[in-house]
Amino acid sequence: MSLSIGLRYSFLTLFLLFLIVALVWTPYDPYQIQMGDRLQTSSAIHWLGTDHLGRDLLSRIMEGARTTVGISLAILFVSLLIGVPFGLLSGYIGGWLDKAFKKIIDAFMTLPDYIFALILTGLLGPGLVNLIFAITAVKWVSYARLVRSIVLEQRQKDYVRLAEISGMKPWKLVVKHILPHTIGNLLVLATLDIGKIILMIASLSYIGLGPQPPSPEWGAMLSEGKTYFQTAPHLMIFPGLCIVITVLLTNSWGDFLRDRYDVHIQSHSAKRSMSSILFRKGV
Amino acid sequence: MLSIRGLTVHHQLQTLVHPLDLQLHRGEWLALAGESGSGKTLTSLAIGGLLSADLHAHGSIQLEGKELLHLSEPEFRHIRGREIAYVFQDYQSAFTPFITIGKQMDEMIRAHTSLSRQQRQHSCLAHLEQVELPAKPVYNSYPFELSGGQLQRAAIATALLLSPKVLIADEPTTALDSLTSRSIIQLIQRIQQETGIAILWITHDLRQVQRTADTLLIMKSGQVVESGKSHSIFFHPTHPYTVQLLSSIPKLPSRYRLELQNKQVNT
Repeated sequence: MSLSIGLRYSFLTLFLLFLIVALVWTPYDPYQIQMGDRLQTSSAIHWLGTDHLGRDLLSRIMEGARTTVGISLAILFVSLLIGVPFGLLSGYIGGWLDKAFKKIIDAFMTLPDYIFALILTGLLGPGLVNLIFAITAVKWVSYARLVRSIVLEQRQKDYVRLAEISGMKPWKLVVKHILPHTIGNLLVLATLDIGKIILMIASLSYIGLGPQPPSPEWGAMLSEGKTYFQTAPHLMIFPGLCIVITVLLTNSWGDFLRDRYDVHIQSHSAKRSMSSILFRKGV
Repeated sequence: MLSIRGLTVHHQLQTLVHPLDLQLHRGEWLALAGESGSGKTLTSLAIGGLLSADLHAHGSIQLEGKELLHLSEPEFRHIRGREIAYVFQDYQSAFTPFITIGKQMDEMIRAHTSLSRQQRQHSCLAHLEQVELPAKPVYNSYPFELSGGQLQRAAIATALLLSPKVLIADEPTTALDSLTSRSIIQLIQRIQQETGIAILWITHDLRQVQRTADTLLIMKSGQVVESGKSHSIFFHPTHPYTVQLLSSIPKLPSRYRLELQNKQVNT
């Protein structure tokens, strides 16, 4: 049983509203240290309590949403910017370029995403820019691969051949007759990927490879809170909940979009990813 | 007009089309017949320089004395569509699904001429009318809004837009039902009478071309096994493969044929 459309949209609207508010306003300054108020639980003054330096947790979570979601969108955007043209070129031109590209894909596929990103950030050193670079380096390959496979499939179609016959310039042909075919699939992959990227950012920050303190990031907040877990569990619960909700939301939307756009899945609708099962039964 | 001498197509070490000779004159209807995989389509693609990168064509293909095989890609772009046009088998992929028929026809003219918008539209509508389609509605519709026969007609109209000299039709009626395909063949016959276009018709079904083709070329595993005037081949096939092909045409048992003739006499 799938989530009703109305519920799906209201979850998304709430989430976007939260993000927009976080962009312009937080209840307190997320960096303001108040040692007198440290490790407070929820109250009317500090809705989600305060952390070990007395900073307001809600403000930090909102500021963290900006960082985490912002970085993940930036990574997604750069991955698309590199991956899509690469896939188009490789698929359409073929020949040595395609062969070289296949080797690059194979090289990237030898290690799992996480380990690759971990090694890269480890080598480059911690920091926001390095984190973005490392995750983009891992992620762009899947977009290039997806686009390439669609181009290879579409190239065989008669209308592409006929457009070729009609004497169009190659780049125009690719943009007008092939690129639009990739949009649906790209949208699905990108939406599903936001959740994965957020998890990746959070887990790399958790082990100290992401943005450095005092800037709040959900994964880094988890890491900071774990020392006080027994006395002030809210320091881990709320940022963790934020990660869970965001990832579930993007995954559920990804599945929803895939069901709508991916013809291959439409015929085997029994295959559902774990996340959608969780979301549909649990929440 | 179109003259092919000693054309071969290779894939690495394998020869897919053995030396092939073919002469196509103005106003002639040449049918290239043979089973699947016999090299018919490869031959037709080689003419337009459309072979994929791993296939290589050698020999000579001349269009009105101009050698096509050694043309560069930009030169070829100039000839394709304008002098050689194609119609393919699968009508469903004849047009890009998310662009209207009209826009795609327009693109074709725009790539080759410098006509104004109105002139282009006028020409598109005229050609859609020529293939007996309701011009205006079809011009504005998306490919999925048309039936198979209509799409194939629109594809033919698009192919004829720039009044090409040669029309290469690669099994254009195979995916259609027999009545529709018959009307398509009649349509092309009419257009040929009007314009004198040379037609290279590729088919695996000899029944289709029995009445229409002037010349017939039978191919088997990359080789031409028989060629000549179509009626002489139909009545006096020499190669055993041609005999086999001809005998595979289902015939109406004689009692039905008699009955049919009687009916026609009566009505």
